[in-house]
Amino acid sequence: MRYWRKRHEAFDLDAELRASRPEPAPEFISRLEARVRDDGRSRVGSLRVAFVGALTAVMLLALASVGGVGYASSAASDAAVTVQRVVAPSDVITVLKRSPAIDQYKKPAKKKVKAKKKKGKGTKGKVKARVRPPFTG
Amino acid sequence: MFRRDPLADPAPLIKRVYAYAAYRLGDGPEAEDITSETFERALRYKKSYDQRKGEPVAWLLGIAKRCIDGGWSTTEYATEDVDAVDSSDLEEETIRRLTVARAVATLDERDRELVALRYGADLTARQIAELLGARTNAIEVALHRALARLRGILGEELDSEPVRKREASR
Repeated sequence: MRYWRKRHEAFDLDAELRASRPEPAPEFISRLEARVRDDGRSRVGSLRVAFVGALTAVMLLALASVGGVGYASSAASDAAVTVQRVVAPSDVITVLKRSPAIDQYKKPAKKKVKAKKKKGKGTKGKVKARVRPPFTG
Repeated sequence: MFRRDPLADPAPLIKRVYAYAAYRLGDGPEAEDITSETFERALRYKKSYDQRKGEPVAWLLGIAKRCIDGGWSTTEYATEDVDAVDSSDLEEETIRRLTVARAVATLDERDRELVALRYGADLTARQIAELLGARTNAIEVALHRALARLRGILGEELDSEPVRKREASR
């Protein structure tokens, strides 16, 4: 109580209470501070992911409204076909059936072979074709 | 409107909440437990913080107050006995701190709460009034009385010290 004796007459209790304010251990402060900051950081990370997701959805909606999705999908499929053709060409060479060259040098049409009439045994049950009478002048 | 993070700068808040808890429960592990619990709850209910209602420290102190009133008993105020410590081996500051802490511990619950909020958490009378739902004037008067009682307790200790010393020397 030597301290109080020295200031027995007039001591500033207000200042003494402030000066003797209990202080936590520095390790305790740093530990709790890290805990608080970690929680804040993880929340910020999840917020960032949510923001990116929302932005993507908005962009997709905006594109879909002007038909951009169909355009993009057809472009993507064309690109895929091109890549497939380059990377893995097919063995079978398909020749276009109609082209100016083929039209010019096309194969002669096959003569129609008249089917021989088989002499029937009779006309029974069949309708005989009508023959035109010969021209007599 | 953009929400302000009440725990953006935690270190000064930790100190103030700890000082409040230490004035009410005593400096040590119990005050640390209350401080940790306060910040855990604050993290959990961070969305409930409304900056229009007050500063983050007032919000945190409200949580700390509920923690103390809800679970922790303040009857066993654990302070080191300053008489048991040989003052010649200690710094003057430590003696001062322990003496004040012991004197605060002898105050009643209401006075201790006010001293803890005013000098531990460093709140103004107006902020204390907002936190406790009272008038600023009433808080100022109550604080003045609490300090008078504290002054009296410290005076009694001074007066009784020579007697104690004499008894001890016999």
